[in-house]
Amino acid sequence: MPKFDLTEDEKDVLQELMNVAYGNATAVVADMLDAFASLSIPRIKIMQTNELLATFAELKRESYFFSTQAFNGNFSGENAFFINQESANNLAKHLELENSEDLDDAILELTNVLTSSLTTKLSQEMNTEVSFSLPTLSKIIPQEISKTATFQHYSQVIVIDTDLNFEDQQIHGKIFILTKDESIQWLKTKLNSILELLT
Amino acid sequence: MAQNKTQQHIRTLDIDKKIVANIDNGIIVLNKELNIYHYNKWLELHTGIQESTILHKKIDEVFTSINSKTLKRKIKTALRIQTPTFYTASTSKYLIPIPINHLNNSSFEYMQQDISIIPFDEEKGLVALILTDQTIMANTNALLEANIQTIKELNSELIKEKETIDKKVLVIKFDKTFRIVDVSRALLKLLHYEKEELLEKNFLFHEKYHMSKECQMELVYAMKELKVLDFEESTLSAHGHKICFKSTLIPEYNAKGIHIGFIIFRENITYSKRLEQSQEKILASSRSAAMGEMVSMIAHQWRQPLSLINTLMATLKIKQELNLLSNEDINEAFKKIQTTTSYLSDTIDDFRDYFKPNKKSSDINILSLFDNSIFFLKEEMHQNNIQYKIEVAGSISINTFKNELLQSIINIIKNSIDAFMLSPIKIQNREITVGVEKLKSHVAITIKDNAGGIDKEILQKVFEPYFSTKSKNGTGLGLHMCHTIITGHLKGNIIITSENDTTTTLIELPYKILKDKDESSLPPLF
Repeated sequence: MPKFDLTEDEKDVLQELMNVAYGNATAVVADMLDAFASLSIPRIKIMQTNELLATFAELKRESYFFSTQAFNGNFSGENAFFINQESANNLAKHLELENSEDLDDAILELTNVLTSSLTTKLSQEMNTEVSFSLPTLSKIIPQEISKTATFQHYSQVIVIDTDLNFEDQQIHGKIFILTKDESIQWLKTKLNSILELLT
Repeated sequence: MAQNKTQQHIRTLDIDKKIVANIDNGIIVLNKELNIYHYNKWLELHTGIQESTILHKKIDEVFTSINSKTLKRKIKTALRIQTPTFYTASTSKYLIPIPINHLNNSSFEYMQQDISIIPFDEEKGLVALILTDQTIMANTNALLEANIQTIKELNSELIKEKETIDKKVLVIKFDKTFRIVDVSRALLKLLHYEKEELLEKNFLFHEKYHMSKECQMELVYAMKELKVLDFEESTLSAHGHKICFKSTLIPEYNAKGIHIGFIIFRENITYSKRLEQSQEKILASSRSAAMGEMVSMIAHQWRQPLSLINTLMATLKIKQELNLLSNEDINEAFKKIQTTTSYLSDTIDDFRDYFKPNKKSSDINILSLFDNSIFFLKEEMHQNNIQYKIEVAGSISINTFKNELLQSIINIIKNSIDAFMLSPIKIQNREITVGVEKLKSHVAITIKDNAGGIDKEILQKVFEPYFSTKSKNGTGLGLHMCHTIITGHLKGNIIITSENDTTTTLIELPYKILKDKDESSLPPLF
């Protein structure tokens, strides 16, 4: 078992924090898209990098947009957002976009809103601050993700499965919060101090 | 306290004037409705627009290319989530159109920009747009992408070519320790092996049972010296069939030029080897057939002189019995017999000379060549009542292998004589006519006979080995050998046509054979 694995209690607290943070993100996304939207209850999992690569392998069958955004501070790492072609097309339709560059921009915006509001809220809950880098739309095709060295830098991955439901169409995406060992250590300390307050 | 305030004021002024004004970024402050509240010096310099002229104007009216809907959405979102929102150069290219004056730029008309929209004053609904020049990076990315595309295309071509080679070319690769590392599918198919059966095996050990010792030595030497070697080898397929190869050994080097092993390209020559062997058999048969022909021609040539000797002997005998034999008669008869036997001996020498293949080409006169040919056949033509005519326009000489041409001509004329003899109907005015014509690039020789012609079906097969219409008397090698000699050794052409009882053989020969014949290419007939 890796050195910085989270205990069941720590995972429970993190799940709670995520639920709160995700609720905040939902409202912002609805605002941004200027439409009534609901986000399904997130399915949150915490996994090791090797499990993550296996998850990516499952995504290979479909064509995916893959965007990432780094965040820095006491809690640092990288957010990755996957959205499949069909969902991206639905997003384009909703925003009445005219070309593929606008769609790329909209995906980056959605990534930014989802991940930064989520990470900001999460860091607020843990009394810290984070700053964000520019999101980038990765040209890495899913088949080559497992070969990408970047992913080897991370140990724990928080995976959030989400669905954005509009009145007429659905957008499905996956958010991965990739964190390094030192951040996990920091996270564990924070989660334990919250646990102490609760007991 | 007052001093602190002053210090803070000075610091703010310094930051505003010295840093914000001189920072290498564009800074614009906007409200939700896109009205401009600040436009820094960097932007003034890059766009040529003074802040004072556009203050409080709407930015999408100053720069009409801006998509106001998207910008408003991003501003609203930044204010709502209280973290920055962005435009990135990779997808949005630019927000403010700033023409580029970089010398090393090759891809873009306007500066490529990353823009961070930072919430500035939540109450007043103000945001700051920080603009960063990303043109160089975007340019590098564009170049990189174009190169990646080229590499991808080259790679896909390479993969296709590799697949083709694998499918079509017989290749075996082994490393420096002779361990087989790859075998093409084409070779595996030919040898009926699975790749796994050959991989990791020692090439020399696997092949040595099927390779001559000399070849092995040569191969090992070439490998040691890292030389390219062309060689012939044979191996056994998994089914035990012998397969012959013409092979080339090439040392293999990696991208850094370090020797890593060897590649052998093979060409399957099993079929041509078999053909070569059967050709050798044909030549052997041909030698026996030509020998028979020669004996037959000598017999024809000898018939008349032998009959003369016989007559002389009979006359002597009769004169002796009648006691009329004088010394003078004996001397005269002996003289005639001596002359005749010497003629018989000369005939054999002539035959032997003419039937030896020439090793070097020489200049020959066509007319005298035909005279020589006819010398061997005139007796037979005379006996069969065949008229022989030759029409040569002037003196024509060519450089060729004399005896080979002579043999071919004798063979063709002999075929015409045989045709007359075998004809089921009696042909009046039996004629063999030879014509020689000088053309620009070659000499054309036509040999015609009116011996009844050849059927179309038979005509198609006359040059095939062992094809004969002369039942048990023919070997079927005559015209096949003529064809081999004329087209192969004399670098000419032979065509046989037949029309209205007349058969025409056309021989085209070059004026000069450029290369001397390889001694081994034409085995001697005798």
